Amino acid sequence: HLQVQTLLRERLCHQQLPQRPEGVDSQHKHLMELLKRTAVHGESNSVLIIGPRGTGKTQLLRCVLAELLAEEDVDKTLLQVHLNGLLQTDDRIALKEITRQLSLENVVGDQVFGSFAENLAFLLEALKKGDRSSSRPVLFILDEFDLFAHHKNQTLLYNLLDVSQSAQTPVAVVGLTCRLDVLELLEKRVKSRFSHRQIHLLPSLSFSQYLQAVQAQLHLPDTTFPDTTFCYDWNASLKVDKSVEAVLLRHFNSTKDFRSLHRLLMAILCRVSVNNPTIKPADLLDASRLLSADAMTNVLHGLSILELCLVIAMKHLNDIYDGEPFNLQMVYNEFKRFLQRKSNSLYNFELPVVMKAFEHLQQLEVVRPVDAAAAVAARAQREYQLVRLMLDHSQIMEALQKYPQCPTDVKQWAASAFG
Amino acid sequence: MARYLTRNRLRRIYKWGGFPVSHDRKLKTDEYDSLHISLEDLPRTTVITNGQYILIEGVDDDHPYVAKVTKLIESDKKKKALVQWFARVGEVPPNKLKLLGREPHPQEIFYYEGPTCEDEIDVESILNTVQVHQSTLSYWMATPTTPRTPRHATPSIPSRSLPARQPGSALEEARARLHVSSVPESLPCREQEFQDIYNFVESKVMDGTGGCMYISGVPGTGKTATVHEVIRSLQRASDADDVPAFNFIEINGMKMTDPHQAYVQILQKLTGQKATPDHAAALLEKRFSHAGPKKESTVLLVDELDLLWTRKQNVMYNLFDWPTRRHGRLVVLTIANTMDLPERIMINRVASRLGLTRMSFQPYSFKQLQQIIMSRLNKVKAFEEDALQLVSRKVAALSGDARRCLDICRRATEICEHTSLDPGAPGLVGMSHVMQALDEMFSSAYVTAIRCASVQEQLFLRSVLMEFRRLGLEEATFQQVLVQHQALCRVEGLQPPSVSEALAACQRLGACRLLLLEPSRLGVLQRVRLNVSQDDVLYALKAE
Repeated sequence: HLQVQTLLRERLCHQQLPQRPEGVDSQHKHLMELLKRTAVHGESNSVLIIGPRGTGKTQLLRCVLAELLAEEDVDKTLLQVHLNGLLQTDDRIALKEITRQLSLENVVGDQVFGSFAENLAFLLEALKKGDRSSSRPVLFILDEFDLFAHHKNQTLLYNLLDVSQSAQTPVAVVGLTCRLDVLELLEKRVKSRFSHRQIHLLPSLSFSQYLQAVQAQLHLPDTTFPDTTFCYDWNASLKVDKSVEAVLLRHFNSTKDFRSLHRLLMAILCRVSVNNPTIKPADLLDASRLLSADAMTNVLHGLSILELCLVIAMKHLNDIYDGEPFNLQMVYNEFKRFLQRKSNSLYNFELPVVMKAFEHLQQLEVVRPVDAAAAVAARAQREYQLVRLMLDHSQIMEALQKYPQCPTDVKQWAASAFG
Repeated sequence: MARYLTRNRLRRIYKWGGFPVSHDRKLKTDEYDSLHISLEDLPRTTVITNGQYILIEGVDDDHPYVAKVTKLIESDKKKKALVQWFARVGEVPPNKLKLLGREPHPQEIFYYEGPTCEDEIDVESILNTVQVHQSTLSYWMATPTTPRTPRHATPSIPSRSLPARQPGSALEEARARLHVSSVPESLPCREQEFQDIYNFVESKVMDGTGGCMYISGVPGTGKTATVHEVIRSLQRASDADDVPAFNFIEINGMKMTDPHQAYVQILQKLTGQKATPDHAAALLEKRFSHAGPKKESTVLLVDELDLLWTRKQNVMYNLFDWPTRRHGRLVVLTIANTMDLPERIMINRVASRLGLTRMSFQPYSFKQLQQIIMSRLNKVKAFEEDALQLVSRKVAALSGDARRCLDICRRATEICEHTSLDPGAPGLVGMSHVMQALDEMFSSAYVTAIRCASVQEQLFLRSVLMEFRRLGLEEATFQQVLVQHQALCRVEGLQPPSVSEALAACQRLGACRLLLLEPSRLGVLQRVRLNVSQDDVLYALKAE
């Protein structure tokens, strides 16, 4: 069963490339033709791959590259530079990285010599000297392309796109981004040099295709897996029955992308062990419940009764004052009103104790100060600083339902309309 | 064949043997009849004369190139040699070796005639002489393979071992011609502008005075290309001695990291010196202020002028002030995008030095765009008439940007090639292909993205619309939208999502900018706005 774990985790966590990603044939073809033309014919191009998060942009690019580099002469000719907007936050850093990856002559070992201006001039001159028929083409891959558009003057983008439109070294500039409005970020000169080719990756699976994909993801290959009986049993247990379908439908309605599906399947996979070697529908149900649980409700389960009472007091203040911010003194007064009227099972807490509970709530970000900077500065009058409750009322009510051994008068207070 | 040291690199000293034999006034070069190479600290000297075969530094120490010296010259204080290249057996591609019809001798060399190698080399790359027996020479006409310039210490991208494939079919040929980088010799539809700029620069160069010109126009209207064309024809005219010789330098505001680097770049391109920005400014100031013997005019092209703006505007001030000096002989041509740049961002003294010689490049009209494409294609029959007209009209209506037009046509040829039923004979590019290309390259995918969103995401968008309508505003908090969302779920018969799930759906919509969100640390209190128009959202959600 260990092999099952290895195989499936490889597939789910390590982003193993599928043979051909489904549903993206035309995009695959488009990108493939484009990169082939750069590598083989020396034709410069630029393209943007746009799609929401988790829809497989990087995976598409990697598949196309793997297929392209399978041809030996392309493998020996094409130079690649991989940049990421999150890592290279500045044009200076980006330029050093390009110079390092291309192993230009101002690189010794792993260190790049020269100032920013020198590096830029060096790179531009190197690219300028090349020509279409005799220089090795360079593929520039810019992940999180929209972040590069925030660099000063968009210098790097301008220069890369300018090279792609001049008779210099053939380059292909491929940008990956999840912003649909990325073209609006480009300056007019940069936008004019961009070829406006866009490849959109939008999740277009229907539910039945999604179900098939789930089964395919969990399916063990009959031919290569060593223990054939185990494999057979495993695959047989992957039938979709009503409860499974309902759970998957709920998940599908929430989000269609594969990244969250993998998260769900990983949660199920973690329950598979030597004592428990198959997947059961109950596993799926549990995993789904785990993933779709509300985060803040879980936090509320860990609060003390006093803290919970403060939260309920704040809920009532929100109802009375229609969402206006409040301070600790107001919350304490509201709490005292409850104590006077209802409770005889709770002690009358002193203000310092209540303040401690209140601080704990602030640390958990259940409440947040309205003005964060002033809150840090004015340490003295903490009980009069205005804060807001960061919870929705439904979360409070849901937490109270499941709170272990919650006193009934507290529950009644929460539910009542009059506080 | 003398052995040369490979691992321990001793410095080689190069000296001419004797005085120059002749002087070429036009090219300003001196010819010598011999070159002495001696190794540092060693007494032995090698003498190289015309007609000798030499070894030149190759890709690595074990594979030097072989060449024959035809001339030894000195130009611009640099020692150079003109050579005739030969290829060793190892450098000839195998398919060409087969043409020999026999086994080549391992030390055989072949006469190399190819257009891609420079005949002029730096003598510092000569290693030594080599004996070549006549019987080992064979002639071989080569199609261009690897370029054979010796290793310079300057930047370069490595060269490929197999040449790039040349275009085959008519469509491929059309695509190659429509690429933005294949700028034609003479730009159509810019004859008047060409003439005006040519007259301006020619008059200044002939008179030996300085001047400034400001050229403006939206991107893609051929400004830089026209100026390059002017310079090319002026250089041709100066080769024919119709116009005095001049230096041409080009700088680009976007290709610099800092406006003050302009000084560094101008100095380097003028004199080859490297200096810090302040020192470079001082040197240039000296150069343009003082009269020099037999000084040539300098034509300076400044692209993307607006990026040279600094708060004190001293870079721009200097660039426009130096042409006003009597002995400067500097002609400055500046290019930017906005017509009123001088009035808007320049202080008075800078704008007045820039002067009133201005030229504005209008965006192309649809007829002009059509003409541009036709002249590029130049009798390659690849497009249908109506298709070309459609592209030109569409682009002219939007921006008048020639680059856009060329890219769309190129994409159309690709689509035609891929969708043709018979890959051998794809036919002409027609309306359908062009319309598909226009669709791809002009559209924004918001509507499709909304249609492809998950059920909960679509419900969230609908809740946003409902809340906006209820409040009468264009903005709402997540908490308010959540109320609507949960109500809507109950109406649709779906299980309402937890707050975390709804937040996640909201974040996903925000990441692809269908919604505009405040920072997510504000949790349920973050405000939500739409980045798409409400009508588009309704349209996308309705068409089910």
